[in-house]
Amino acid sequence: MDWLFFFESSIAGLATGAIYSLVALGFVIIYKATRVINFAIGEIMMISAYLFLTFAGILEWHPLIALPLAMLGGGLLGSVTEKLIIRPMLGESPISVVMVTIGLSSILVGAAQIIWGPGPRILPDFLPRAPIFIGELYVSSKIAYSALIAIGLLVCYLIYFRFSRGGVALRATASDQAAAFSMGISVPKVFNYAWFFGSMAAALAGVLVAASGGLSPYSGSMALSILVVVIFGGLDSLTGALVGGLLVGWLETMTGAFLGGEYKMLTIFTLLTFVLVLKPYGLFGTKEIERL
Amino acid sequence: MKKIFMGLAVVLLTLGLCVSTATAKEDIVFAETALITGVFGFAGGELHEGIVDYFNYTNENGGIRGHKIKHVFEDCGYKVDCSVATFKKLTAEHNPLFYSGDSTGFMKAINPELQATKNTLMSGVSYASELTDETKYPRSFIIGPSYTDQMSILLTYAAKEMPGAKVAIVHSDSGFGRDPIEAGKAKAKELGLDLVEVITTKPGSVDVSTEVLKLRRKKPDYVLFHGYVLTPINEFMQQMKDLGMATKFMGTYWSSSELMYMKAKEVSDGYLGVMHLNYFNMEKSPGKEWDAMRAYNAKVHPDKLTRPNFYMFGWFQGMVWAEVIGRTVDAGKELTVDNLRATLNSIENWDTGGIASVPVTVRNNSIPFGRVFKVNAAEGRYEPVSEVIEIK
Repeated sequence: MDWLFFFESSIAGLATGAIYSLVALGFVIIYKATRVINFAIGEIMMISAYLFLTFAGILEWHPLIALPLAMLGGGLLGSVTEKLIIRPMLGESPISVVMVTIGLSSILVGAAQIIWGPGPRILPDFLPRAPIFIGELYVSSKIAYSALIAIGLLVCYLIYFRFSRGGVALRATASDQAAAFSMGISVPKVFNYAWFFGSMAAALAGVLVAASGGLSPYSGSMALSILVVVIFGGLDSLTGALVGGLLVGWLETMTGAFLGGEYKMLTIFTLLTFVLVLKPYGLFGTKEIERL
Repeated sequence: MKKIFMGLAVVLLTLGLCVSTATAKEDIVFAETALITGVFGFAGGELHEGIVDYFNYTNENGGIRGHKIKHVFEDCGYKVDCSVATFKKLTAEHNPLFYSGDSTGFMKAINPELQATKNTLMSGVSYASELTDETKYPRSFIIGPSYTDQMSILLTYAAKEMPGAKVAIVHSDSGFGRDPIEAGKAKAKELGLDLVEVITTKPGSVDVSTEVLKLRRKKPDYVLFHGYVLTPINEFMQQMKDLGMATKFMGTYWSSSELMYMKAKEVSDGYLGVMHLNYFNMEKSPGKEWDAMRAYNAKVHPDKLTRPNFYMFGWFQGMVWAEVIGRTVDAGKELTVDNLRATLNSIENWDTGGIASVPVTVRNNSIPFGRVFKVNAAEGRYEPVSEVIEIK
């Protein structure tokens, strides 16, 4: 057993997992507040990465300006989507709302093709490139810095949702919308905030993924594999998103490293099947009891 | 006198009608399931434009032995079910003699119907190795070397440049990506190369840091990519170069386009691609047809100063079928599928005037030749670094 390779792969896996957690957080925040599974989150990631490309690559603005702007753009896209498309669907069947998000994803893919063209793009380098060595242990700089940025935002979000008024309002709305409303919480505003913050997390993940994986109008499809993370961790659990992301990222990488890339999906979906059989609401999801 | 004059007029009119009937030859229909939108739209759109331009150019120059080409197409965005439906529609409406397919999946799916109808020959965007079996695909043809042949050409080049070199193969986990892998492993062994690693990745946007960890340990002299267009090849090259590795990188047709140096910039310098065509922006003119193509482009697309190899592929595809029609007509044969197929199979050492980078000889339902080109990132072009390599 090459332990150095094991540890190197583990670090790479956990770093990838941190980005998965960020996307999963985007799913969970929106679902927790509004009960909508946003299938367009991958395309929000993709559009945000294109925004970054426009600001940093085409307009040549400094990445420290381009990155927050791209995140803000992603957040606003989510916010506008909620206001114009999702809110009128309130009260409709969940399937209808899901179908609307799937339709939205196609529209965003088409829009990206029209605006930025259909070909693959590479983001300008904005992360340090020099390889990182911890003793003998090698870590890819892009993935390491991406993970650090992702962890930074995750921590900010956790603190915000745990201690701020907005966070308490979100959690109150998630627990009982009627009670939250009667206590003076503006539930529609909470819905909008949830879409804004969820999309902003996805936007950052979109830029980080595109930084190492490249970008095309179809890049958003990677978010569907993050759905596994969300189901695994629990659709309405922030902790589930974090733990699920790290675990799935690590497992996927280790499978690729020791068994081969062709076994990655097999391993992840086998794990998912076991979790769903044993804990249908995911590892940390809220168990819902429906009385008939 | 009046009667003689009238009689002469009637004779002249009759002769004139006969001559015009004889010169107005039947149009030849070329149908296409185009790939203008969808995940490969960026390549398919150029390929389609290459076909359109070649046929327009040919028609403007009198057609093929008097036959004009009628080109009909519909876009399917790389969806097999749509391509199958479009094939049925276009063949029912236009009875095309030639058809261009938009994917390997479509060309395999339509094969039984193509054989049953017996009216159409097919080529397309696929280089799938399976299509080289003419007994199984008698109506289909690969416009170039198959993926297996492309990989063999690259391995042959590596073996010649560095006998016994350590080679790693990195491919995507898709039908396209897996196509030549087993044959490639066997070829590497046959050539005396040391195949140190075979890595499978997801197609498209992926993090490759773990795969780079593996390659760092194996220290390959060459990494051969297959099943990608651009990403994640650029990321492999970047990370391995950052680690100070002296590995050379190479890739098959779809990853040997201008996108490599246009997008990956200096990281792509030295990248080796396999190509049976010449590139649009060669330093020196490789021939008269290449000059004519450039001139036609300058005339009809003055805004497009360069075109990717996908465009060259479209142009070449039209050119191959035009050559087949011309040779069949010259031989005094009817333009039937069987006669055209026989003509196609008889093509040997055809000089394409610089469009192809190899003399075209048809064998194994394909053109199993290629050259290796190297990226010169500073100049923004590929340069030939090998002679023609033939796979037998």
